[in-house]
Amino acid sequence: MRFLYYDRVTGIEKGKAIVGVKAFPLSEEFFRGHFSRKALVPGVIFIEAMAQLLGWLIIYSHDFRLSAIMSLIQDVELPPALEPGFTAEIRGEIITTTKRDSLGKAEVYIEGEKIASMERIIYSHFHRIEPEELKRRFEYYSGMRA
Amino acid sequence: MRYLLVDQITEFKEGESIRGIKNVAMTEDFLEFHFPRNPVMPGVMVLEALVQIGGWLEAASSDFRNWMVIRKVTRCNYYGFAFPGDQLELEVQRTGEALYRGTALVKGKRKVKAEFEGEIIPLEEIEDVEEQRRFFRLLMRDIGL
Repeated sequence: MRFLYYDRVTGIEKGKAIVGVKAFPLSEEFFRGHFSRKALVPGVIFIEAMAQLLGWLIIYSHDFRLSAIMSLIQDVELPPALEPGFTAEIRGEIITTTKRDSLGKAEVYIEGEKIASMERIIYSHFHRIEPEELKRRFEYYSGMRA
Repeated sequence: MRYLLVDQITEFKEGESIRGIKNVAMTEDFLEFHFPRNPVMPGVMVLEALVQIGGWLEAASSDFRNWMVIRKVTRCNYYGFAFPGDQLELEVQRTGEALYRGTALVKGKRKVKAEFEGEIIPLEEIEDVEEQRRFFRLLMRDIGL
């Protein structure tokens, strides 16, 4: 299993917003155990998808000179019982960002209908990173040029 | 990877609270990408461990009729990382109807604090009830040895 909860970045605007997509096939590893009689997408996976995409937006917005780690999430609504076989669109936006930390919010949609939302997510920034390595990973993961 | 984030249940108070353990091993699949060359247990997986042990609290408090899945996070704070080799001590209290407060600690030091809301679902719809009972006894180390 690769712990990546987006398949592609479809739009990015520096310092502002990011949009990405993620498919939820029955072959996802987390269905081994969640659950044996019925496959339900664990709600926390949507938190991870929103957090990963927004994290990249922060890194991209600071020109790959820092990395971001989630330190607080607040007011998150999640779908409790979604079955696989759909593609979700994840939209994240930065509310504020400084060298030290960032505040953002995000939403998840399936065919235009909102199924999850996160009102507040705070990231702490890390500066001991390798910019070229981060840039290379962004290009591989997002399908975009840095 | 099996999506099972509770290794042991150490204390269970019917309808009230539950405590248990999750060991973080270097072999965990999620550590390969989280993060490359800097393995730390993903924060949402710590939250998931609290949700799963909350599921065990609901199951064992309802004679295995119910399970709980998460539907809302009011607030979740991350104070520090759980690294490979750490043992996470999980504690979940039921604060109301499908309302929970959870804490994850390493060596007594708080790493994650969460307030969340669940949805109660019939256990028989998602799992084999007898198998879940047996697994709960296994987690409680009540295996007749």
